[in-house]
Formats: sequence, structure tokens, C-alpha cells
Amino acid sequence: MKDLFQYTAGNSVIHRMNPLTKILLAVCICAAGFISDNIFYLLFLLLLDMMIGLAAGVFKKALSILKGLLKVSIFLFILQVLFVRRGTPVFWIITDEGLMLAAKVVLRLIIACIPLALMLAVTQISDLANALVQVLHLPYKYAFTLTTSIRFIPQFMEEMGDIMEAQTARGVEFDTKNGLKKIGLVLPLCVPLLISSVRRTDATAVAAEVRGFELRTTKSGFKKYPFRLIDLAAFLICAALIAGAVLL
Amino acid sequence: MIKIESLTFQYDGGGEPALRDISLDVEPGGFIGIIGPAGAGKTTLARAIGGMVPHHYKGDFYGSVIVDSMDTVENRMTDISRVVGTVFQDVESQIISSVVEDEMLYGLENFGIPRGEIEERLTFALRQVGIEDLRCRTIASLSGGQRQKVAIASIIALRPKVLLLDEPTGELDPGSSRMVFSLLKEMNERYGLTVIVIEQKIMLLSEFAKQLIVLNEGKIYCSGPVRQVLERAKELEGIGVNCPRVASLAISLKEAGCGEMPVCINVDEAETMVRGLLR
Ligand SMILES: Nc1ncnc2c1ncn2[C@@H]1O[C@H](COP(=O)(O)OP(=O)(O)OP(=O)(O)O)[C@@H](O)[C@H]1O
Ligand SMILES: [Mg+2]
Repeated sequence: MKDLFQYTAGNSVIHRMNPLTKILLAVCICAAGFISDNIFYLLFLLLLDMMIGLAAGVFKKALSILKGLLKVSIFLFILQVLFVRRGTPVFWIITDEGLMLAAKVVLRLIIACIPLALMLAVTQISDLANALVQVLHLPYKYAFTLTTSIRFIPQFMEEMGDIMEAQTARGVEFDTKNGLKKIGLVLPLCVPLLISSVRRTDATAVAAEVRGFELRTTKSGFKKYPFRLIDLAAFLICAALIAGAVLL
Repeated sequence: MIKIESLTFQYDGGGEPALRDISLDVEPGGFIGIIGPAGAGKTTLARAIGGMVPHHYKGDFYGSVIVDSMDTVENRMTDISRVVGTVFQDVESQIISSVVEDEMLYGLENFGIPRGEIEERLTFALRQVGIEDLRCRTIASLSGGQRQKVAIASIIALRPKVLLLDEPTGELDPGSSRMVFSLLKEMNERYGLTVIVIEQKIMLLSEFAKQLIVLNEGKIYCSGPVRQVLERAKELEGIGVNCPRVASLAISLKEAGCGEMPVCINVDEAETMVRGLLR
């Protein structure tokens, strides 16, 4: 969670794309995964995900997301296999159609999760927000809300860690294996944390206001986000992905 | 540049007024140090100068604050902040962006600084504060002191007529604290900025500031040129303001029967004085 939004610096093809293009590409891969009913095409999309990870230098991250999804995937797979009754049995109550369907569901889940996470890993949220304002003319208020909330996540985590450490030093056992007990211990800590973050957000709003928050327009950004040749190529790929999903 | 007349302010929901009957006058090009014990109202005074009080922090506001001939009550916070650049006490909440460069750009972009000038201002401010190497780092990866420097640099880049800093060295080591004050001095002398700095480290204030204001319980306890205020070192200790030991030296010597001595504000002066006595 903590490093979900952590930016991985780099200068790859993917990094150099317009932030909006990156998001569009991710969305198109997800969409293609949901449209297509061809197992080979789904496998191809998964391969594409991993290639993007490789190209953007965040292959490790892609792998770790895969690993994170492993448990859910296995669970989903078994559920599907046991509940689908159509097709010819191959083993006990398991049918060939069940296996196929289960595989597709799992593949879709993975294909849907990876691209967006990868794109966020190679996009500065501030760039994304700026591009949304400059290119799509999203009101800056919303972009500001997006960036500040994301900017506060690591700080929130840090504070949470500090409080838990302090409590651990006083003998509170946060490392308990009992999930319910752990929730019972952590929940009361959320109240002071929430109060302090509301106060902090308020202070940040003032800090933004005294630096001309109200004067900011769609033209204010120093960095510009034009669409370049890479973006054009990415658009073509997007179209091809969707077309492939529909046709194959 | 700044004229405050009988300002009294009480926060909504606060029991006592945070500021009582404050009057002061800051000339353009002044270098004012504000000191006082915790809860004295220093931050509130800074907020009143920057217009955050009463525009953002609501409450009962009596009297008037005029900044660069703008009444802070009648003008928007945004307009006041074109003149007054504020560095907040809580650095964490001052920083808006997640990357140093974006943080530096934020105010410059909003205030419509011409594109051609932005890069120069940005590198200038980073260099002055000595953090050129941090330009592309994420804020999350910086230490408290580094974040404080970023906050200061982002305001320096705006080149406001008035620099207002609320405990800007709270997270800094002694070396960096001195550097920040030398920088303030340079901005004050070379560029003619008016500097108002709230600071607990009296040694730094007495060395760099031209005038001191001592706040206590929402009131101005005393104010004036640094030397004049430091002559009352003993009294100040009484309200919880530590004075430099060199300042109390003259007083102690006088009490010991060595006669009238001028107040020293740094070690060199004290040395000269003591050498003179021993001769
Ligand atoms: N937002 C607020 N709402 C209500 N009361 C406040 C608020 N901020 C400060 N006060 C009160 O106003 C008084 C003066 O506080 P202020 O923050 O100005 O003191 P300070 O001199 O800056 O102290 P410190 O050295 O701790 O920073 C205190 O009694 C404080 O409790
Ligand atoms: Mg304060």
C-alpha cells in the first residue's frame, strides 16, 4: 500500500509518454481484457503487461503485484472450477469448460489490476494532475484534492508507524496473529490520526492559498504536456488492442 | 511597510485573546526579530500580518493591520500574499507538492511569473539555500531540515517585499540555522526586503536582527533596537526568554561594581570589553 503510489524514476519510452496517454493505455488494456473472450488473446495481454513493466523498468513491481494477486487468483480459480457444471468432465466434478472459464476469470483479474498500478508507478501524480488541468480542463480544485490526498499517504503511514511504535514500547502487542484483536488495537489510534490529518489538510489549504491557489488557471503550469509521436503510437496501439479484443 | 494599530484578536472558541492591543510599525527594509515564550501569540501575530487572521482563522478582530497600504481585512489573502511571503511554523503542512521542483514552481506559476524568469529564480533560490542537489528528489525522501530548506527556498523564489518566517530554523542544525540567517540578511541588505522572523534562538536574532519585539501573553512586552531590548536581559529571563550570556555579562559586571557597561551582543564584543576591563 505504502509504495503503491511511489514513483519510480526513469527515462524509458513509457516514462516519456504524456501522463494521459499512460492512463489511456492502461484503461484500454483493461477494457480489452474484459471484451475479449479468447484465452490466447488474454494471455497475450498478460504478456503485454509484463513487457510494459520490463520496458518501464518496473518489472519487479509487476512481479510483486502478481504475487499479491496469487492468493485471490487461486481462490477464484477453485471457486469457478467447482461451480461450473457445463462441459465434459475431465476429473471428478471438474469440467473442461469450467477450467477454461476459471482461467479466463483469473487472467482478466490480473490484466485489470496490473496496468493501472504500473502506469501510476511511472507517473508523477502532480504531472497527471497538471495534464488533467491543462489538456482536459479539469477544474484545478479537484486536481489539487487528488494530489494532496495522495501526497499525504506516505506521511499518514509514517505517523501511524510512529504511534504504533510508541504503543508497542508501552507493551501493546500489535504483532498479534489474531486479526480481530489487531483491528481492535489499531482502530482507536485512527481517531487522533484523523484529527491531526484534518488539521494538517486545513493548514495545507492555507499554504496553497498564500501561494496563489486562487489565481491558478489552466495556463499556469510551467511544464507543458503536449502529445508527441510516442503518444500517437500509443493511441494506435490502444485502438489495435480494442479492435483485436472485439474481432478475435 | 507594515502598520498595526491596537490589534486585539481572539480565536473563535479560544478562551482568552491571543493578541491584545498590539501596535507596531515596520519600516521598509527593516529586519525584525520576534521572540517570546510558547503560546505568547507569535504565530497569531504572523498570521495577522499575512492576512490568514482573520480571513482563514476566524475570530473577533479589533484594530487594524495595514500591509503595503492594504488593509488586511478589506483585501483578499491572495492579494496580501503577493507582498508577504510566509514560511509557516509547521513545515510538513506548508509543503504542497510531492517533488521539490514542483514545490518550487507552485507559487511562481500561480503568481504568473514570466516563463523566461522562472528557471533563473528557481535555481537562484535553491542555490541560496544550498539545496541545488535536492531539486529532483521527492519530499517524502527528505529529512525534516531539508524540508524546511525547501519551504524557505520556495518563498525566497517568489521575491516578496516582506519575508515572514515563523521559526524557520526549528528543524535545522546550528550551521544551517546560521546559513538561513545570513541568507535573510543578504535578502534584507542587498535586495531591500523587509524581514520579519519569529525565532527562539536569541543568539541568532541578536546577531542578525536590527530590532526585537518581545511578546508575552499576547502583548508586546518590550520592543526596540536589539541592544536596547537586551539591556533588560534579567527581566526577560523572568518571562521565560533566554538571553545570550554575553548580554547578561554587562549587567552582572555592573552589579559586581565594575561600573556602567554597554550591552554586548556577540562574543567578540564581550571579549573586547573584558580585555578593556582587565587592562
Ligand atoms: N487555531 C487556533 N484556534 C484557537 N486558538 C488558537 C489557535 N491557534 C492558536 N491558538 C491559541 O492562541 C494562543 C497563542 O498561540 P500562538 O500559536 O500564536 O503562540 P506562539 O507564540 O506561536 O507559540 P509557540 O512558540 O508554541 O509556537 C495560544 O493560547 C493558543 O492556544
Ligand atoms: Mg508559534
